[in-house]
Amino acid sequence: MSSAASIEIDHVSKIFPGRGGAQDFKALDNATFTVDAGEFVCILGPSGCGKSTLLNILSGLDDQYEGVASIHGQPVGRHGVKGSRIAYIFQEPRLMPWRTVRSNIEFALLASGFAPSEWKERIDRCLALVELADFGDFYPLQLSGGMQQRASIARAFAIEPDVLLMDEPFSALDELTARRLRQQLLTIWSTFRSTVLFVTHNAFEATFLSDRILMMTKGPGGRFCDEVKLDGLTRPRSYEDVRVFEASKKVVERLVSHVGSLDEE
Amino acid sequence: MSLQQVTAPGIGPSIGSPAPVDVGLRKWIGARSSDHLIKVLSVLTLISLWYLLSAVLPSSVMPAPHVVAEVLWKQMVGGEIWNHVAISLTRIVLAFTLAMSVAILLGFAMGLSRTAESFFDVWVVCGITMPSLVLILTIFMVVGLNEKAAIVGAALPVVAILSINIWEGIKGIDQKLIEMAKAYHAGQFRIIKSVVAPQIAPILLASSRFGLGLIWKMVLFVELLGRSDGIGYKIEFYYQMFNMGEVLAHALLFLFVMLFIEIVLLGMLEKRLFKWRPAKRRL
Repeated sequence: MSSAASIEIDHVSKIFPGRGGAQDFKALDNATFTVDAGEFVCILGPSGCGKSTLLNILSGLDDQYEGVASIHGQPVGRHGVKGSRIAYIFQEPRLMPWRTVRSNIEFALLASGFAPSEWKERIDRCLALVELADFGDFYPLQLSGGMQQRASIARAFAIEPDVLLMDEPFSALDELTARRLRQQLLTIWSTFRSTVLFVTHNAFEATFLSDRILMMTKGPGGRFCDEVKLDGLTRPRSYEDVRVFEASKKVVERLVSHVGSLDEE
Repeated sequence: MSLQQVTAPGIGPSIGSPAPVDVGLRKWIGARSSDHLIKVLSVLTLISLWYLLSAVLPSSVMPAPHVVAEVLWKQMVGGEIWNHVAISLTRIVLAFTLAMSVAILLGFAMGLSRTAESFFDVWVVCGITMPSLVLILTIFMVVGLNEKAAIVGAALPVVAILSINIWEGIKGIDQKLIEMAKAYHAGQFRIIKSVVAPQIAPILLASSRFGLGLIWKMVLFVELLGRSDGIGYKIEFYYQMFNMGEVLAHALLFLFVMLFIEIVLLGMLEKRLFKWRPAKRRL
């Protein structure tokens, strides 16, 4: 089972039909790639290249597309994938403000079919992992933005996902908070070893986090254009590591060669 | 962020305070009672203004507060006034139920369907522009001078504005939370129960408070125009007799009853439902 494909995207295209005579909008053009089980893959590309569209397809939020998207060999549908648990971490925390942090996580556990007897132990464990052990009974609006995002990370790992989809989860945070959360994410991931597909437009973030980077061209009609393997960067990684920095410089150079200037972002 | 900062924003020991007891006391005097004090002063000022007005105007036009209070006390002990309060309250409940039901139907339809939105848009705009008096008189003409007409007449003028209220609320439902729930593969029933309903509840509660405030004024108006019982009728009756003491006494009692329902009952419900909301900040 060493390199069984966990995520398979086979010639997937997505076209948003134009409304009222407007031209059709091609969000994704013939995307094909696979992610192995337990692999951490980043999709790196400029804003509007169709990265999020891809995650919406894989999570089952969007089932109007061409091609085949499957997880563990099963096609993705509206009700998820049989036998696989999929978690999604969004750009915003997306916690229900009328529920406590604990109760927000319980919602995900219930939806994923975990028995209530397991809830407390799972929640306590995951809150401790994101250093929110004392905040389970707080309401989201009583917490800072960074703490809310940590709670949403705890929610994702609480269901012990086989596949974890992340959509620029740290881009709305200040850089210092984002750094701490990236480090924390890697630590937690190293114990769970879920398959991760992480979407970002931040080349350094992609380099620091992933085993492999898939680059996309500018949208509309973004395509996969390049792949960077980061096997050389041993884990655990640290921000002080010069090799991470050097590698990220190379990633930026390659991205610029495909996309052109990054200034427009 | 520390725990203390989260639970007690903006409360720190003041400089040079000798003991924590003193800080607590000052805080108590500062925050709690200054608010209450202002409210008490506000009511006292209102009563003084009333006295001032009663001193300037003849007592048959504007009797002093203590005179009205005496009349009110006699009425409350006498008991007849309570029958009229009960009759008016019954009409309020019926008209409110009718108006809310129609508004919920319209508001939901317009919030959920584009077709319904463009179709009812015109109706609703006409509804809020039409003077209530015209609507009520039309209902009396069409239905007749009876109980049914009174209730429909009190409900109809507020349906449009309530529908707009609910419609706006439905449009404001957070789609991103619904997406989140779908991404975690929650079922349709669970999404409605746990994600949509908690967002609709505050909309309905706010509309109810708003609607109730409008309806009770409409009911008094309808009673004044075309009924022979209820507080509105009594007010009209004593007005015809030039008895301002009774007019004000009836109005005052009914005001107290409605304030009780509005502030104590609905206010408490709101507090219970929305304890997750952080305290309101002042600009």
